[in-house]
Amino acid sequence: MNDEPRDPKSKEFSEWMGDQRRRLGIDRAVAAYTAAKEAALKRLPEMEEMRKEVRRIKEESISRMGELARQAMDSIADVKGTPYLAGDAAEARRIFCSIVGTGKLVVKSKSLTSEEIHLNGALEAAGNDVYETDLGEFIIQLRKEKPTHIINPSVHVPREEVAQTFSKLLGREVSSDIPSLVGVAREFLRDKFCKADVGITGANVVSAKTGTLFIIENEGNARFVSNAPPVHIAITGIEKVVPTLSDAFKVVQTLPPYATGVLISAYVSLVTGPSKTADIEKTIVYGAHGPKELHVVLLDNGRSEMAKDPILREALYCLRCGGCLYECPVYRIVGGSFGDNYFGGIGMVWSAFTRGDEAVAVAIDACTKCGRCKEVCPLEIDVPKMVERLKGKLVRKGHLSRKHAEIRENIERKGNPFGQSERRQ
Amino acid sequence: MMAMVGKILYWKGCMSRLKMKSIADSTEALLGLLGVDYDTLGGEEGCCGSVLLRTGQYDAARSLAILNADRISSLGYSELVTSCPGCFKTMSSEYPMIIGRAPFRVMHISQFLYGRRAAMEGCLHPIRARVVYHDPCHLGRHMGVYDEPRALIRMVPGADLVEFKYNRSKALCCGAGGGVRSAFPEIAVEVARGITGAPLREAGASIIITSCPFCNYNLKEAGGAEVIDLPEFLLRSWRGS
Ligand code: SF4
Repeated sequence: MNDEPRDPKSKEFSEWMGDQRRRLGIDRAVAAYTAAKEAALKRLPEMEEMRKEVRRIKEESISRMGELARQAMDSIADVKGTPYLAGDAAEARRIFCSIVGTGKLVVKSKSLTSEEIHLNGALEAAGNDVYETDLGEFIIQLRKEKPTHIINPSVHVPREEVAQTFSKLLGREVSSDIPSLVGVAREFLRDKFCKADVGITGANVVSAKTGTLFIIENEGNARFVSNAPPVHIAITGIEKVVPTLSDAFKVVQTLPPYATGVLISAYVSLVTGPSKTADIEKTIVYGAHGPKELHVVLLDNGRSEMAKDPILREALYCLRCGGCLYECPVYRIVGGSFGDNYFGGIGMVWSAFTRGDEAVAVAIDACTKCGRCKEVCPLEIDVPKMVERLKGKLVRKGHLSRKHAEIRENIERKGNPFGQSERRQ
Repeated sequence: MMAMVGKILYWKGCMSRLKMKSIADSTEALLGLLGVDYDTLGGEEGCCGSVLLRTGQYDAARSLAILNADRISSLGYSELVTSCPGCFKTMSSEYPMIIGRAPFRVMHISQFLYGRRAAMEGCLHPIRARVVYHDPCHLGRHMGVYDEPRALIRMVPGADLVEFKYNRSKALCCGAGGGVRSAFPEIAVEVARGITGAPLREAGASIIITSCPFCNYNLKEAGGAEVIDLPEFLLRSWRGS
């Protein structure tokens, strides 16, 4: 079975637990995050009402997910964008490859959804140069590692190691002072932004009625990516569509305090169609200073399946703030090994639906179902309940650890999980 | 069997019955001092099925729930008191969903003792120590029992009850629950160190009081603190030793 004494997952867990450098990175991040979030929420008493409102918006949106996705596509087409609905990861990759073609310079801002479909590999295989421009993603890309947090993908890499990575990139010694590390990335990537043929972003929310994409960020890279190259492709999950602009604004206000402990992120870009002008004889021309083409890929890839399950559909409400990860006692010690692209308890559900059962079959047994995630989630998503539900489904498909099977046998035979004989008094 | 109506069943739970016996023993001693008329099922108690529910073995858990509910009801018990928050949560909130009705009243030992606190007044001797209460997930966050254990601890003269920075609904998990202790014992104990390390130092307590045999076991495994079950602590105070 999948629980031999040293299955690959246990090994990965042990490596993480024993890796003091990665633990230090996460510990520093947890301390900074929790302090910032507490301070931000103290200044936002209205958030209590807001997050309840957002929960209602998500409940409505998910109950109409297919319909809203179609409405968003119509709206995007109305403003001369090109919408696509990708059923699965392979279809999404095909769509991207046909738009991008080959021999192109591609810049990307952070998008978990693009990682979900393994986009970079596909674009590179088609002969394109792809640069991640979010600092964390850039570091991970250079180090050829996997992201370990949905908001701060390089949370496990301490500054000293970032310096080593950058020194290698530039072929000269780089100081490990954090501002100068940021400076290195800025210098290096600026040139790529201007020369890129294609910019790829995600979208945190989409308003169905107007076809508007909301892209939330702090670094300013997503602005470059979505604005400088002649072609902008955005990819997002169909669960990100909400009915109206004002619904979307509420989501936008809720995310940043829980994601990074700020009142609002530095930049929220609203993109409704490609750039245009009608300044000469009132004749509309697409492609003014911004992109000439806007392509929007709405991804299903298991989401409709998720929506069919009365319990697991709640995972579709997730805003991806990542707050529950920092607050998860298991994530704090096993970090990026606790999931596959999506992490922690909520990540178990997402990884299972988007990457398959195998991706979580062993890792799910590391969840204590303690429920801290639900407690800190702005939408109070009942993660432990979903994890138990998912676990039940996995067990029915044969994914049961030997230890847990033994416990059942012991209970059935001896009346206790330990297999002790006690019926003698 | 009818003679048992109204009698209380003390359900120890597998962990307190077999691995952490001092929890069950001290609870029984305390119940005795309080003059509570109760029974146990001894070696026939069996398992409530919590661990099966937590590890996705729903069908096996369901059979067990039906079996236990029938057995306990047919013995005539209408009230059950348990040391284990896992049994407490499972039997009080999940059995009714599984079998479609609440078979009997289930109380956690902290709730039961709180109800009988008057009988402890004047009997408790001082324990001069700074103590901190660890909220077990199944008792606190899942079942909302936060105040009873604290009120009981405050009854002990001399005990200075302090709080962890993250307590009550935000309490840190000990790491043992959900089948993690059996699947990944090294993760479970490392999670527990996340309590017995910096948070315990910050709280400045020398004793961790908890009210769950799994938390107790796991926090002891992590080391660095004296860990004691709530009734055990009350018994120590009663006996003045
Ligand atoms: S489950 Fe809740 S806390 Fe966790 S990432 Fe999603 S919205 Fe944030």
